[in-house]
Amino acid sequence: MAQLTAPSPEVPVTLWQERWGKLAGTLLRDPTLGLGLISSILFVVLFVATPLVQVIVQAFFDSRTGDPSLEYFRRYLDPVYRGHQWRVLWNTLIMGSCTALGGTALGLIFALTLARCRVPGQRWLHYLSLLPTVSPPFAIAIAAILLFGRSGLVTRQWLGIQFRPGVNDIYGLDGIIFVQIITFFPVAYLILRALLERMDAAMEEAAMNMGASCWQVLTTVIFPLLIPGLAGSVLLLFVESLADLGNPLLLGGNAMVLSSEIFLAVNGQYDQQRGAAFSLMLLLPTLLVFLLQRYWVSQRSYISVTGKPSAGQIAITEPWIRWPLVILTGLGSLLILALYGSILVGSITRLWGIDYSLDWQHYRAAFNRGLTPILATTFLSVAATPLAVLMGILIAYLVVRKNFWGKQSLDFVSNLGAAVPGTILGIGYILAFIRPPLLVVVGATVILAWYATWSVLAQRCWGVLLLGSLLGALLRWVGPSLSYELYVGGIGGLLMAMGGVVGWHSRLWKGGLLAAVGLYLELAVVEPFVTEPIGVWGRTLGGDMAKLLTSVQAMIGVIFQLPLTLVGFVLLGVVALALRAEARLLGRLHLGLVAVSLGLAFGLIFAGEPLALVGTPYIVIAAYAVRSLPTSVRAGMAALQQIDPSIEEASINLGADTQTTFRRVTVPLIVPALLAGAIFAFARHMTSLSAIIFLTTPRWPILTAWILSEVEQGGMSTAAAYSMILIALVFGAILLMTAFAGQQLRQLGGGLDLTMGGG
Amino acid sequence: MAEVSYLVFQDIEKRFSSREGKGQVAAVQNVNLQIEQGELITLLGPSGCGKTTTLRMVAGFESPSRGEILLAGERINQKPPHRREMAMVFQSYALFPHLSVFENVAYGLRLRSLLEIEVRKRVLEVLELVGLEGLEHRPPQQLSGGQQQRVALARALVLQPKVLLMDEPLSNLDAKLREQMRTEIRRIQQTLGITTLYVTHDQAEAMTLADRIVIMHRGQIEQVDVPTQIYQRPASAFVADFIGQSNLLPARVVGREGEVWIIQALEQTFRLPSTALARPLAIGEAAQLLIRPEAVCLHPRGSLRAGVQRATYLGPIVEYELTLGTQLLTVVDRDPLRPRIYPVGAEVNFDFLPGCLYLLPA
Repeated sequence: MAQLTAPSPEVPVTLWQERWGKLAGTLLRDPTLGLGLISSILFVVLFVATPLVQVIVQAFFDSRTGDPSLEYFRRYLDPVYRGHQWRVLWNTLIMGSCTALGGTALGLIFALTLARCRVPGQRWLHYLSLLPTVSPPFAIAIAAILLFGRSGLVTRQWLGIQFRPGVNDIYGLDGIIFVQIITFFPVAYLILRALLERMDAAMEEAAMNMGASCWQVLTTVIFPLLIPGLAGSVLLLFVESLADLGNPLLLGGNAMVLSSEIFLAVNGQYDQQRGAAFSLMLLLPTLLVFLLQRYWVSQRSYISVTGKPSAGQIAITEPWIRWPLVILTGLGSLLILALYGSILVGSITRLWGIDYSLDWQHYRAAFNRGLTPILATTFLSVAATPLAVLMGILIAYLVVRKNFWGKQSLDFVSNLGAAVPGTILGIGYILAFIRPPLLVVVGATVILAWYATWSVLAQRCWGVLLLGSLLGALLRWVGPSLSYELYVGGIGGLLMAMGGVVGWHSRLWKGGLLAAVGLYLELAVVEPFVTEPIGVWGRTLGGDMAKLLTSVQAMIGVIFQLPLTLVGFVLLGVVALALRAEARLLGRLHLGLVAVSLGLAFGLIFAGEPLALVGTPYIVIAAYAVRSLPTSVRAGMAALQQIDPSIEEASINLGADTQTTFRRVTVPLIVPALLAGAIFAFARHMTSLSAIIFLTTPRWPILTAWILSEVEQGGMSTAAAYSMILIALVFGAILLMTAFAGQQLRQLGGGLDLTMGGG
Repeated sequence: MAEVSYLVFQDIEKRFSSREGKGQVAAVQNVNLQIEQGELITLLGPSGCGKTTTLRMVAGFESPSRGEILLAGERINQKPPHRREMAMVFQSYALFPHLSVFENVAYGLRLRSLLEIEVRKRVLEVLELVGLEGLEHRPPQQLSGGQQQRVALARALVLQPKVLLMDEPLSNLDAKLREQMRTEIRRIQQTLGITTLYVTHDQAEAMTLADRIVIMHRGQIEQVDVPTQIYQRPASAFVADFIGQSNLLPARVVGREGEVWIIQALEQTFRLPSTALARPLAIGEAAQLLIRPEAVCLHPRGSLRAGVQRATYLGPIVEYELTLGTQLLTVVDRDPLRPRIYPVGAEVNFDFLPGCLYLLPA
């Protein structure tokens, strides 16, 4: 038989070409995957990378004149400012180190006791120690003020201390550190407990078998194996402490740290450069620790945390080791119980410090004045949850299952959003979205449009792109002379008509996709006419009903008034899906359809001020989602890594394509992780403060920021009442989810990562 | 031109980027193979020899860096895996943990939008074929290893695939079950007449199952033949050593008398027919003489003599290691009448059974 294929000549392929070829191949073969990849990259670039870059840049430019300036770095040398500048830095480092060491020590004690000491009520102690991770970031600070403050129950009522200037009180660096240790130790506890539970019991048995006593096993086997975990936890707590804003604001007194300086600079002095410069000082140690944690500590870990807990852990029985651990854990638990108890009691006490009689007035006041923030915060948190979870699962899927160039960077940047202090992200959002981030919008448009035409047409791409751009420019030109309703409604109508054509000639769902975008635009036009009367009518009712109905009106608005730019992006994605491989069915019409839909998408994207999001609720949703993204990513990754890749291959082998496999095999298997991710994303959103404190507006007040201002006005009991409401909402969500999906969650066990993005 | 085989590999090569990111490693190269319809072919070789990669290229999970894979004359290199109609049985079974046995087997049928009644009929038929009637509503985790294996097989068979691919399907079962499943698989394959490509590293499995065995080594095919030929006439020292036990003695061709070759080894002269040579050799060329342990016959009047270095009693047989100068010789003795085991240090006489010697190039 003749040779069919001549040996192909060796074509020199550069590394870059090869990588690009691989990526392009992956993208072309599967438009869903391509769009998933593009949208996840777009998301992290827009909402993580851009704001952070903006902060760094702003630190070197005068925020009023726009001139390059090193003013705030020069001040570290200037004799006038030097003292203050260095003191802030010093305070910050002291606070971080003390919290890191103290929190890790407390976490270690709890972990050893609860994992190895067989104490009664272990499960409840476990839940109790997790309480700070799901409560508002300053709950402990409020409790500490109630118990140990100047008119605290313990300090003044029981010990009778009179606070005069000069007497050390809860306010100051020591108070912050005390509160931060209680707030952040659960992170250390979770890390160390996971390590302790996953140690191979046989190792300890081997040591005992060779004659080691309980203490010797502890010092020669367990501690050395824990070292990476201890180092990791110290680093993580250091960063958490630095990033914390609520506690330093409440308890700092005269002791300023970087995060409170940033807050003051932006919200008090309205000096963004000052804020950005302090942010940079805060960003550097944070990033350093993040990198250390990621590339050094994690590689030195001997125990894989993803493994299953090994059965038959050896209990610590020797009394002189066991009892100190148990007693310390007991005392710690009592303290936590007392702190949370004081919030509860404080919220129902008439006047703390003076009149301790029972009174519900604080709850009445909270619901009366705070109804709008309660509703707004819950709504935005709920709205951000599916976004965070979907993005998280998408990124996890891409990182775990797919091979593409830049995968590590995607993973890295998606983590970065929660790893950096929230205040920095908040400033970044203001800087990035006060004006349209045109560079990113144009870049994203070019990439999406190019991908859409390329995956739809493969070749005649440039002509159609040009035609579409001309159409878009035309729309942008006539746009201002048309009313909003006519402009948006017109585009929506055209899209629905095109959807009809495509649905008629080709598959129904393809037309449906196009028409759905059109329908959404029509609804956006109609919505205000329907909901406005609700608000007007509500205001005639007055009282709580007025607030309720106005909030409902605003929420419906959030759903239907998505920024047109985002709708335009979605339209480009829909074009890639709906008009693909339809040349045969639609004939010459096809090229025209692609060009027109591109033009319409451009018209939407560049309508008005694209993505000038400051002041809108969408920026809060984005900030929430970015903060909880790593939790979802990790939950998704853990779940995906447990699925044998051959299970997905089996599905493909049996005739399912990638999408079908994802839908029918992968998703059912990761549902528990999705649900757990959703719960904790929601809890994270509800309790986040530092990231949104600059983004909250009178129209969209956020509960955490609201409570903070309540405390500053001295309403400690009202703040306690708000905190109880917030905790109840979070717990309500957790209970609701476990009631619906308890079975699936139990399968998951404790495979969740709660260690990032708090505060 | 002769009729084209059903499944053809033409000069297949697969390269992977090496882990360090520099350069590439060939996992499979120069693979040429023709498989006829209805044949059961096993790919046999040590781990890392490229057999699983070859199988995955047929399934479409890997694409060849070079060469062609043809199915019934059609080039399938670029065909996406879900359109290939080749069902695979995975080493880990890869059963869907969220679906019952019935739904696992029905999965592929449902993707083809068959009528529910047709799905039911075919699933129940194939479950009966593999002997799993009555278990269709169990979740797969509740089944034993052997039963899970059968589900995986049923799930593949129910689609009536063009080629059945099996990737070490029995390696997670215990020895007894493995033997039982082996015959079962062969029976089903024969009943359905389904073309099968079977990857294994277990030579007993390959021997009992295969119509033909493909021996792979370092990404290349060493030999393709029926089991008896593989054992009796190995193409290379690697094959001889890999299949069964073997003694490979250094030898030299010293002469040739027509169809008879004169070989020198162990300071003895052997006369071999040309059928006992893997390939013709030149006079004076170094070679290796293959002697299977069972081809050594211990008896007091044997012309060769060696010392016992090790004796292992295994019940039906006794395995000896003999030293003959510097040469070690493994011998299997299966004479049930022999009254005693030769102790270590004893001297024994033996002969090579005529007609059991085979000469390989050095």
